[in-house]
Amino acid sequence: MRSTADEGTCSGSSARDGTLVSPSAIHQFHPVLAAHDATSDHLFAIRDLARSWGHPADAYAIEAKPEVAAEVVPYRRLFRTLGRDDLLLMHFGLGNDAYDRLASLDARLGLVYHNITPPEFFDGLNPHAAHHARKGRAQLRALAKRVPLAIGVSEYNRRELEAAGFARTVTVPILVDWRRYDVAPDPRVLARWRTASTTILFVGRLAPNKRQDQLVRLLGYVRRCVDPEARLLLVGSYRDQPQYHARVRALASELGLGAAVHFAGGVDAAALAAYYAVATAFVSLSEHEGFAMPILEAFRFGVPVVALDAGAVAETAGGAAIVLREKDLAQFGEAVGLLRERGSLREALVAAGRARLADFAHDRVAARLREVLLGTSEVQRASGSVA
Amino acid sequence: MAGERVDLEAIQTELRERVRRKREAGVYGPEVAAALAHPLPGGGPIAADTEGDPIAALAAAVESEVHYDPRSRKGPAASLITFARRAVIWLIRWYVHEIVARQDRVNAAALRALRMLAERESVDLVARVESLERAAAREVAHEGAAHMDYELFAERFGGLEAQVRAQAAGFLPRFAGAKRVLDIGSGRGTFLALAKERGVGAYGVDLDERLVARCAAAGLEAYRIDAEEHLRSLPDGALDGIFAVHFAEHVLPGRLFEILHECKRVLRPGAYCVMATPNPGTLTVGAHTFWLDPTHRKPLPPEAFRFYLQISGFEPVEVETYNPSEEQLAEDGLTGAALENARLLNRTLYGDRDYAVIGRKPLG
Repeated sequence: MRSTADEGTCSGSSARDGTLVSPSAIHQFHPVLAAHDATSDHLFAIRDLARSWGHPADAYAIEAKPEVAAEVVPYRRLFRTLGRDDLLLMHFGLGNDAYDRLASLDARLGLVYHNITPPEFFDGLNPHAAHHARKGRAQLRALAKRVPLAIGVSEYNRRELEAAGFARTVTVPILVDWRRYDVAPDPRVLARWRTASTTILFVGRLAPNKRQDQLVRLLGYVRRCVDPEARLLLVGSYRDQPQYHARVRALASELGLGAAVHFAGGVDAAALAAYYAVATAFVSLSEHEGFAMPILEAFRFGVPVVALDAGAVAETAGGAAIVLREKDLAQFGEAVGLLRERGSLREALVAAGRARLADFAHDRVAARLREVLLGTSEVQRASGSVA
Repeated sequence: MAGERVDLEAIQTELRERVRRKREAGVYGPEVAAALAHPLPGGGPIAADTEGDPIAALAAAVESEVHYDPRSRKGPAASLITFARRAVIWLIRWYVHEIVARQDRVNAAALRALRMLAERESVDLVARVESLERAAAREVAHEGAAHMDYELFAERFGGLEAQVRAQAAGFLPRFAGAKRVLDIGSGRGTFLALAKERGVGAYGVDLDERLVARCAAAGLEAYRIDAEEHLRSLPDGALDGIFAVHFAEHVLPGRLFEILHECKRVLRPGAYCVMATPNPGTLTVGAHTFWLDPTHRKPLPPEAFRFYLQISGFEPVEVETYNPSEEQLAEDGLTGAALENARLLNRTLYGDRDYAVIGRKPLG
């Protein structure tokens, strides 16, 4: 499966003029792969797509969480098996020494950028994360000189790639296998949370840049000014940010909201569907998003979205969400109130959200990805000069 | 996309309006504001919340505690790793201590210095700006006649009503049939009244409130507004004429030039701009009577004023002098050189006391 012995075996291959060749294999790397993780899901979706095109394709990682371990190959094998004509897509979201080593491989290299949280958000909360974020930003600039193709999952990310110095940058949204959302909502979650009260939902890792603390303050406002029974559901893993998690919990209890805030942790697809099903509104006060996949999930499940304009949020929402520029929590609280009382607005937003999903349809993104990865001008050789 | 687009701008406006109404109605008690600003317990604020106040962020960083837990949780080797880490920490403790102590001194001094600079700059700078503003305001007040009864002044020094009226009448033929003539510095309304009698449509602007009120009481159209501001508000070609007697000497040359530029713009082609001012070519005016009015800025020689109109685009520009001196040297019985000398002295000392520049906006 290596070298040039596989001529003609690839579908969609371009003319072989010595400089541009369709890759024989499309492999991908991310330091950690896990279930229910946006980057991992994206990586696996691309792998399945590449396989459907007839290319050998595998997922490589330094660490694979137990749920996905069977599908992941240890990354060290890349140093032995990757051929000159193979394409290696490195998914990048945090600094890691492995990228430097992989960038020296004699193969075609591409980078898929999921964005790096600005390290300032972690200062004083998580020195480990702050260190990796700083390292990631520096590493990105260094990789710019060695990786000829850089893909931003949003235009916002692509601009950062351009600023980092990558010569060729393109935007391809996250490839979503929408079928994975076709599951019956978890009845236990429905039974517990389906009530008449206002339910504010946010989905995303607990992280200081996602500002779950602000959501807690917002809940305080909503309970005083909109619905005294309102609740906040925070879906997303809190294992990586123990200190921030403890502080957000403390904030909720100091504001007398301890019982009204529920930390659901990481959940499976059925539970996720159920949390969306019980939500009055999906509210994001996140101050840094490289793509904001949960906004699309909310569209998928027919939940109206209210979000702070930050990073790629407005771009992903594409006019189908109430996106507010001012960090005025009162406005967000009133937006939740408005969605509660005005059914027509709710319906219009839900309809607009569903329509927006067409732009992220699997086939449409897959076609774009194919054009970028296999198109005659998109992928160039990492080593040596290109005519 | 679906047919039903959501008007997000309208929603944002509505939300802001809702918040404003609720705030005004007092729905938000102080406890709501307190809840919205409740600090995150257990440590310093999140970076994004101190963006606007870097000194507070620095203080929080300097005061924050640093924790390092050397205990390892990596399986069977954990206790060995923990021991090794502790040993290294113990070995380098004095070396690190010296560096940290120095950095602490630097940090504390830097924070103090920044705070001092921030404080001092704001106090000093604000005080200095305020003192300059007061000085400038005093200057304007003293130089102008803000504290003077200008109406009374106009009565005493502004000339006899009948005389002023007769002088204004001399300029009216140029505005015959006009519908909209602007009198800049309309004062007691002498020109406006005259124009009204002759069927010329005219209105005035003046900064003196009482003079404007007096015009209104007499059924004349006058507004209390700055002339330049008013001219700028008018569209091109809006006026049939501009009349300004004893106005130009009240403004500085640069501003006068800008006003003339605007005058030319707002006049219709072929319309006249008439501006009269004391004639400093008559020395009793230039050296004496011009300065009776403390709001006069600079005497304006006729040649200069004419030039101003020309470069503003008026063509042709004429100069007419009027209002002859009451006193003159007697020329009776003089002949030869004595007569010539007397005439020269009369022209120089006792000539016409005012002059007008009359510019026409070219046709087309």
